Amino acid sequence: MIADQPLLDLGWIGAHLDDIALRTLQHLGLSAVAVGLGFALAFALATWAVRHRRARALIVALAGIVYTIPSLALFAALVPFTGLSLLTAEIPLVLYTQLILVRSILTGFDAAPAEVLEAADALGYTRRGRFVAVELPIAVPMIVAGLRLASVSTIGLVMIVTLIGNNFGGLGLFIKEGITSFFPTKVYVGAALSVLLAVGADLALARLERRLAPWAAARRAALAPAALAALVRPAPAA
Amino acid sequence: MRLSRTLALGASLLVLVSACATGGSSKPTIKIGSDGFYESQIVAELYAQVLENAGYKVERSLGLGARKVTSPAIESGQIDLKPEYLGSGLGYYDKTRPSGDPAANATALGEILKAKGGGISVLAWSPGEDTNAFVVRKETAELYKLARMSDLAAVQDKLTWGLPPECETNALCAGALKDAYQISWPPRSLKLLGACGSEIAAALEGKAVDIGELCSTQPIIGSSRVGLVALADDKATQPAENIAPIVRADFLAKLSAADRTAFGALLDAVSAKLTTEALVQLGVAHEVDKQDVADIARAFLKDLGLIK
Amino acid sequence: MDTLAAMLAWLAAAERWQGADGIPVRLAEHLAIALPSVLAAALVALPAGAWIGHTGRHATVAINVAGLGRAIPSYAVLAIVLPISLRLSPEWGLSVIPTFTAMTLLAIPPILVGTYAGLRGVDPEVVEAARGLGLTERQILLGVELPLALAGLAGGLRTASVQVVATATLGAVVAYGGLGRYIIDGIARNEDDRLLGGVLLVAGLAILVELAFALVQRALVPRGLRAARVRAR
Repeated sequence: MIADQPLLDLGWIGAHLDDIALRTLQHLGLSAVAVGLGFALAFALATWAVRHRRARALIVALAGIVYTIPSLALFAALVPFTGLSLLTAEIPLVLYTQLILVRSILTGFDAAPAEVLEAADALGYTRRGRFVAVELPIAVPMIVAGLRLASVSTIGLVMIVTLIGNNFGGLGLFIKEGITSFFPTKVYVGAALSVLLAVGADLALARLERRLAPWAAARRAALAPAALAALVRPAPAA
Repeated sequence: MRLSRTLALGASLLVLVSACATGGSSKPTIKIGSDGFYESQIVAELYAQVLENAGYKVERSLGLGARKVTSPAIESGQIDLKPEYLGSGLGYYDKTRPSGDPAANATALGEILKAKGGGISVLAWSPGEDTNAFVVRKETAELYKLARMSDLAAVQDKLTWGLPPECETNALCAGALKDAYQISWPPRSLKLLGACGSEIAAALEGKAVDIGELCSTQPIIGSSRVGLVALADDKATQPAENIAPIVRADFLAKLSAADRTAFGALLDAVSAKLTTEALVQLGVAHEVDKQDVADIARAFLKDLGLIK
Repeated sequence: MDTLAAMLAWLAAAERWQGADGIPVRLAEHLAIALPSVLAAALVALPAGAWIGHTGRHATVAINVAGLGRAIPSYAVLAIVLPISLRLSPEWGLSVIPTFTAMTLLAIPPILVGTYAGLRGVDPEVVEAARGLGLTERQILLGVELPLALAGLAGGLRTASVQVVATATLGAVVAYGGLGRYIIDGIARNEDDRLLGGVLLVAGLAILVELAFALVQRALVPRGLRAARVRAR
């Protein structure tokens, strides 16, 4: 690194506040789209897999394998088909969220105790009705816990979009530029704001959970750790 | 809720940033891209501003990381124009052909690109070039009396080499070292580090390697705190890396004959001013003075009267 | 399908299995950075997770602090650590220390969260009973809670290990070896068979790690608890 540089060039920061704000918003937008679409996909996969036992193990395993595919390889394969577009940028980000989200949603669905399910059946709920009215609400804490982990992870991963150009911006672009042009200030600004964004997202989602599942307030103490445990433990296969 | 409003703002900004702008001027919109390397971005920005000044609408896709992305991008029409280093560009498609002669490299590259993506043309190249430089610390040069690459053979085993991962299969890297400079392959102590990157520069400064491959116009060679020295390529083994705009035939076809000539002339005017000293200056403005790419390009073009 | 055939041919070639760039050596290098990283992360995250799990306090702060290692891209961690580690040791500071640091930071959050969750999931009545029997907090934590929390703990280690295996490929950017070498070199040399071969090897290793943990977890969870998970559906 070029040594006669201050650790943090406050002058540069002052002169680039608008760029910093813009890239932070871009970063937030990219992450939100990835987690949002990732959630939709994971939810669809999970609701399907929960009824097809053999597919379940396969889907969970696939999510793990996809995580190991390097983003540059994915981009290189996508660019000729989907161009240098937002779609190309988001596809790997969405795929990388599946590892955490599919597992957490599936385990959320598993959380309903047998007695409660039997009671619902006895009350005459249809399979679908029971799912919507009973299993889904009980799954909420675990699903949100998965969203929290996925959000923090995605915020750290968004940097990969710099592989397909500067247009998507984001805090990762500051980091890349800082590294390649020997300018530590940009790296620290990018990293610090990424962390702040992640903490903010985590706290916001925690608040969302409290609002979505207020009835679970008392049980949350018991459920939440189970939820978290489920995230890091794979959903039990068939 | 504050969160959803911020998301909406962010999303709309994102759409704005990546939206396709349809041109309102009589000239077609041109998509200009560049590699990730700062110099490539600055030169692409020079092309962009000169063309905008002449009435073109420009969509930029600068900083497209690795060749693995830029080559499919121009071949599939995601971009129409980008600056190309003759030697590296040629070497990407055919490892055996790059030479120290820019004309030969340009011709060879032109032949190959004619068959890619419906035809891609190589326009006039710059007088200046940014070629591979083998760099050591000043103290190493003094210790082993190193001034030229030929001086390395005698002390090769005493050095830790920092060479790019593609060196082994590259005739102009391992091949040149072996044939012209009698360096045995692989060197006794070798670390694989991408050329011209911040990692190899850090490794050189931090004494993790003793000799590394940088780019000849990189300011760090002149401004590093530990003092770096580029060894002279006395056997002239390194490829000519002059910079030429490469442009898709289907874009040129959209222009009238007169516009096409003017288009070429605009880019030639820029290329003509890219001497090696100019490239170094552009690098210093970016890496040392920390100026933004767009500002550097604008100042350069205004000073030369190439834009208003 | 040509690329697939080329990749398989590349994997099967004799030279692929010998020498410093052979699969056995690269695999060993990969594990040599992945294993210590997970262990170091466990050394930090297990006690921390056990503490916040046992006391039930400061969980949000701890989990968010742990999350820092994820919100910062691993490549940025490499870049930040590199100049410092080079100053400490030119020999180890280029490849090993930065990669090890980035991987350890990546591994800490899942282990912390898994341990915390595993402990919070222990039936409070069991803990109370132990307290009633006169056991000290330390005895309770080590002798009662941790054994019961083993599933959560193992799950955290499992996720951490898979993610470290997948991301340790980054070390190749700072001249480390490992399976990432095939990926980085494949990209640099424009050799798709090498690139895809590397990807396949990393994915394969990740699957093996998953399977290994699955077996270990099955062996560790006491049969009584396992039975309780079967339900009418």
